[in-house]
Amino acid sequence: MIPATLNGYLAISVALFAIGLLGVLVRRNTLVVFMCLELMLVASTLALVAFSRFNGTADGNTFVFFILTVAAAEVAVGLAIIVALFRKRQTIQIDQLNALKN
Amino acid sequence: MTMPQHAILVLVLPLLSAAIIALFFRRAGGIASAISTATATAIAALALILAFKGERFEASLEWLRFGDFSLKLGFKFDDLAALMLTIVGIVGLCVHVFSLGYMHDDAHRARYFGGLSIFMFSMLGIVFADNLFMMFIYWELVGFSSWLLINHYLHKQSAADAAKKAFIANRVGDFGFLLGIVWCYAQFGTTNLSELEKLADGAAFSFWIPLFLFCGAVGKSAQLPLHVWLPDAMEGPTPVSALIHAATMVAAGIYMLCRINVLMTADALQVIMWVGAATALYAALCAIVQSDIKKVLAYSTLSQLGYMVAAFGLGSLSVSHGDHSHLMAAGVGAAMFHLTTHAFFKALMFLGSGSVIHACHHEQDIFKMGGLAKKLPVTFATFTIGVLAIIGMPGLAGFFSKDAILYLAYAKNTGVFAVLALTAVLTSFYMVRMWKITFLGTPRSENADHAHEGGLTLTAPLVVLGVLSVIGGYGFFYSTIFAGKFDGVIDQIVHPHGTDHMVILGVSLAVMLVGGLAALGLYKPAATDSLADKAPGAFAGLSALKASFDRAYDYYVAKIQQRFAMVLNFIEQIFLAGLIVRGLAGIFGLFGLGARALHVGNVNAYAYWFLLGAVALWALAAGVLKF
Repeated sequence: MIPATLNGYLAISVALFAIGLLGVLVRRNTLVVFMCLELMLVASTLALVAFSRFNGTADGNTFVFFILTVAAAEVAVGLAIIVALFRKRQTIQIDQLNALKN
Repeated sequence: MTMPQHAILVLVLPLLSAAIIALFFRRAGGIASAISTATATAIAALALILAFKGERFEASLEWLRFGDFSLKLGFKFDDLAALMLTIVGIVGLCVHVFSLGYMHDDAHRARYFGGLSIFMFSMLGIVFADNLFMMFIYWELVGFSSWLLINHYLHKQSAADAAKKAFIANRVGDFGFLLGIVWCYAQFGTTNLSELEKLADGAAFSFWIPLFLFCGAVGKSAQLPLHVWLPDAMEGPTPVSALIHAATMVAAGIYMLCRINVLMTADALQVIMWVGAATALYAALCAIVQSDIKKVLAYSTLSQLGYMVAAFGLGSLSVSHGDHSHLMAAGVGAAMFHLTTHAFFKALMFLGSGSVIHACHHEQDIFKMGGLAKKLPVTFATFTIGVLAIIGMPGLAGFFSKDAILYLAYAKNTGVFAVLALTAVLTSFYMVRMWKITFLGTPRSENADHAHEGGLTLTAPLVVLGVLSVIGGYGFFYSTIFAGKFDGVIDQIVHPHGTDHMVILGVSLAVMLVGGLAALGLYKPAATDSLADKAPGAFAGLSALKASFDRAYDYYVAKIQQRFAMVLNFIEQIFLAGLIVRGLAGIFGLFGLGARALHVGNVNAYAYWFLLGAVALWALAAGVLKF
């Protein structure tokens, strides 16, 4: 079994964050973009928990609680917006949601 | 009521009348003319009360204050103002009454009478003004009302042009006037006339101050070289010409000069004297070839105004009484005396010409008139009095005032005396010419044949002014009828004694007879100008002389001023509008263009921009990017 090191956790965290960011940049479905955003948040949460565990302090853990709270609220609002958007426009493809530009 | 309250009433009444007409009776000609004429009657009555009570006063009120500078409105009512007020009141009333008949069928009567009222207000403001700033305000108002009334027949292009010409020519003079006022304020710290009198007495100051102030008189009193507007101003209704462009407004320049007499220096007086003399001669020459009855009178007015200005420029005279002598403001006395008599007989002649024009259905060409002596007996009689008065027939008003000026010139400056005597010959020449062609012979057009005298409103003012044109020159008119109330001015008139008296009398009679008899002999009451038939060269020369100023101004405006303006316009277009205004706008437009390109309307693109921003922020924080 591979020993659990800080760098290993951080590598996973960075990989998750990169996947999330790539998803935000390239995906066209609002729901997927939203999920990718959540993935980026979770990646940073993982890094914070790892720091907290290996440094033996509670700072990172405290941060995580805040992030989870905010993320929960954000998900509630964000999903509601996406549902409302779909009802209004019958689509959630972001390249079709450009009413402000045209 | 106290006298200052009377004065305020005189000033406010015409303004009220104009305001009421402008606000409520713009379409009601009958009511408007009644209001305006009633106001003129009240002004004349109050003017006589003010003059007769003999109380002279000064009062002023602060109107505006900017820091140390305070602008006051006030009255300075001395003998000079009283005399001027009486003239304006009497002539104004005559013209209002005459207008009732003359303008009776005019569709825009209300506007006309409103204009007359606003003119009366402005003119009285000049008469009462106790400081130069206040005078300037009313000076401009007078210019405005003159413009309004010249422009009465506004559908006629020539009338509209003449009104603009009058306004612009006056602006040129007024600019100098304003400079003079500001300079005067800078030098003395006040423009109050009475305070100036104390400060300027004996003080040494620049001769530019009186000269700049004289610019105002050059514009308003139509002296060379700004005289061009007055003949054109005859496009206005004839009573307006009588009131504004003969008797009162154009005399305001002379009045203003007399007001600032203390500021005059010897050099400035020389300039003023020669400008006046040149105008007198030039205008008299021009008058000889005019065929429009009003234009003859207009040039005659110019010439007589030149007389007054020259008289003023001749300045004071040292008069000896036995063993002691004292200095008299003879220039002021002679100029104001001639202003007074001229106001009466020139208003008379203008109204007379109005009566003729009215009778001939707005025919103004004297060569199409003729034989009117029998058809218009009252007009003929009074007009003849006017002609005799202006050419200086002994016993009439013009004789006395002209003699006063000629004597002053004789005593002070032989050159000016010669010019003025020559002018007097010409005056009598062109006046008799016009009189003979208009009234004698047989009618030369259908209109003249059917002419008949207008109503009482047309003839009564003629009779009143005719009487004044006779008695206005006698000493008893001022000493007995007006009980010596104008002595402050009248006493300044210098009378010749002994041999001087005989010389002046001889010269004055000779010039009158030479000019008058020459015209009587030369001209026939015919349809063509006898001078043009017999001496076409002289006629063409005089016509060219008349047109020379207009040509010069046309050339100046079209060729010099217009081109200069085009150069300025070019510079403005390239530098101001092109580089600075459009250039700045262009730079910001480019920024806008760039910023607009960022806004693509795609959420992914915004995410990329966000990422880029985050990278830039990191680079800055990490020190990769350095500023």
